[in-house]
Amino acid sequence: MSEFSLYLLQQLINGLTIGSTYALIAIGYTMVYGIIGMINFAHGEIYMIGSYVTFIVIAGLLGMGMVSLPIILIIALVVAMFIASTYGWTVERVAYRPLRGSNRLIPLISAIGMSIFLQNFVVLSQGSRDVALPPQVTGGWSFGDPSLYEVSLSYMQVMIFVITIISMTLLTLFISRSRMGRACRACSEDIGMTNLLGVDTNKIIALTFIVGAALAAIAGLLLGLYYGVVNPFVGFIAGLKAFTAAVLGGIGSIPGAMLGGLILGVTEAMTSAFFPSEYKDVVSFGLLVLILLFRPSGLLGKPEVEKV
Amino acid sequence: MNQFRKSLLGLSTAVCIMGLTAAAQAETLKIGLAGPATGPVAQYGDMQKIGVMAAIEDINKAGGVNGMMLEGVIYDDACDPKQAVAVANKIINDGVTQVVGHLCSSSTEPASDIYEEEGVLMITAASTSPSITEKGYKMIFRTIGLDSLQGSMAADYILKTAKPARVAVIHDKQQYGEGLATSVRDQLAENGVKAAMFEGVTPGDKDFSALIAKLKKENVDFVYYGGYHPELGLILRQSAEKGFNAQFMGPEGVVNSDLAKIAGDASEGVLATAPKSFDQNPINEARVAAIKAKGEDPTGPFVFTAYAAVEVMANAISATKSTDSVELADYIRAHDFDTAIGKVKYDEKGDLTESTFLVYRLHKDGSKTPAE
Repeated sequence: MSEFSLYLLQQLINGLTIGSTYALIAIGYTMVYGIIGMINFAHGEIYMIGSYVTFIVIAGLLGMGMVSLPIILIIALVVAMFIASTYGWTVERVAYRPLRGSNRLIPLISAIGMSIFLQNFVVLSQGSRDVALPPQVTGGWSFGDPSLYEVSLSYMQVMIFVITIISMTLLTLFISRSRMGRACRACSEDIGMTNLLGVDTNKIIALTFIVGAALAAIAGLLLGLYYGVVNPFVGFIAGLKAFTAAVLGGIGSIPGAMLGGLILGVTEAMTSAFFPSEYKDVVSFGLLVLILLFRPSGLLGKPEVEKV
Repeated sequence: MNQFRKSLLGLSTAVCIMGLTAAAQAETLKIGLAGPATGPVAQYGDMQKIGVMAAIEDINKAGGVNGMMLEGVIYDDACDPKQAVAVANKIINDGVTQVVGHLCSSSTEPASDIYEEEGVLMITAASTSPSITEKGYKMIFRTIGLDSLQGSMAADYILKTAKPARVAVIHDKQQYGEGLATSVRDQLAENGVKAAMFEGVTPGDKDFSALIAKLKKENVDFVYYGGYHPELGLILRQSAEKGFNAQFMGPEGVVNSDLAKIAGDASEGVLATAPKSFDQNPINEARVAAIKAKGEDPTGPFVFTAYAAVEVMANAISATKSTDSVELADYIRAHDFDTAIGKVKYDEKGDLTESTFLVYRLHKDGSKTPAE
């Protein structure tokens, strides 16, 4: 392969890595929108909390002398998903459920308030400075001709791909095969009708928040380990990017969120590859504007597409 | 009669004592010490106070200046530009004509206008903003280098010591970082070294893998980063993970123990320009010991610059045998001084001709040593 194609391959790997984590967070936005038609702006904060919990658990387990990395990571993942889901459920119960049925703007404002609250809550309890974790998953493969360009693929990147694919597959199976998933799909079709048919829609909505938060916690663990740094403000920009991904793919559509995340990640990497990297955000948000102008329902957001 | 005599005696004694006090007062020269004594950055004001008071004590112990004892008078501007103006006016009303201060550049700037107009000699030991000395003032000096000097110092080090094959200059698009990065790039270009890349990153960004892939493609072996430690820490960490092993260099903004916390082993050997640690200099050993003996901290970056400011004033007063500040200012501009921060020499603007910064090598335990 030529130097150029190796370089392109490297940037593609980088873009897919970051894109898959965008996709994980984007699902939380898109599922909530699909069912109750609101944008949960506090979702980025749930991701940030997931990252913090991961750091605390890993540091705690290492401090207790545990050495097996896979076990540490599994414990951290389970704890982070559980705590983030608790936050997701509580936010819905406290800030959104009492406002159900009111004007659409009101829960939106409540969501922004919740986001500010969670951010400041973490600032107060954990401090506003960067918290760092030493690299846990190190090493990787490198291939390509070293005299031309050496492509590196780290174990961490592979771990991000694999865990994202597993999570997405499980989510798709859950939505398409399980009873709860069927109820979710019914809610997104017509929530009033579903209610009349005897489904406890409040329960389904709460479930949506829990699932979204759990996926955000997975992203929090993966990105926390990948970057090794977290601060209380990472949720805002990550949430914004994931929201863009969700809109790009068609908000309300789960495959759309997956696709949107990957497209956004690759676009960012390719922009940085061939233009100065300060234009990265200009291009990705420019893309969002174009999509909204020419295809407001997003790439896969057609009405006949399965929505949740 | 007896009564009258007694009271006369009393009166004359009183007059005598008053005369004596007046004489003693004439022998004291007040030096104004302007800076934050309260407020969020009061610890910097403390550093200045420690340095000035130590210098005054040493000079007085050696017999003062021209037989006059020095006395430091503290004026609190709380690092607030409005209060700095009020403080400057108070200093002038009090008849003080030599001032060490102010500390924050934002306070020094409005205050220096007033001192220049009223003919008060001012030496700041901490303000690094270039604009303070750009107005052609006659009465304003510094004992600290400018922020912008770090750029030329870094470029100099790259050209003469590091001599890399391909240099990239990266910055964080902010005034401080981009300003320094631009000056490094320009100075390299003047000397025939063209930066292979000149790019900005977004502050707060976490993913630099695309940037690193590009640096790798450009075969860069030296990266100058203008900005602060959080982004550089992540760039270092991700570079190590992706097998990109260039030498990194940054300004004072990256010199922070958090850099080592974020980047871990990858922070070992990073170069940075930082203010010299004057307390480590052997010529200051006795002064450091004296300050420590008082239970104060001699390691603050402004302690010895403040000490030197008093030394410069005292030297000028003893050489000119005058306390007229205009005369002192002319003398200071024209002469060299040996001080706690080494040789001090001024250019036309009142800036030091030699930088008070030094190139350091940072280590993974958060410490730093002067670079070879």
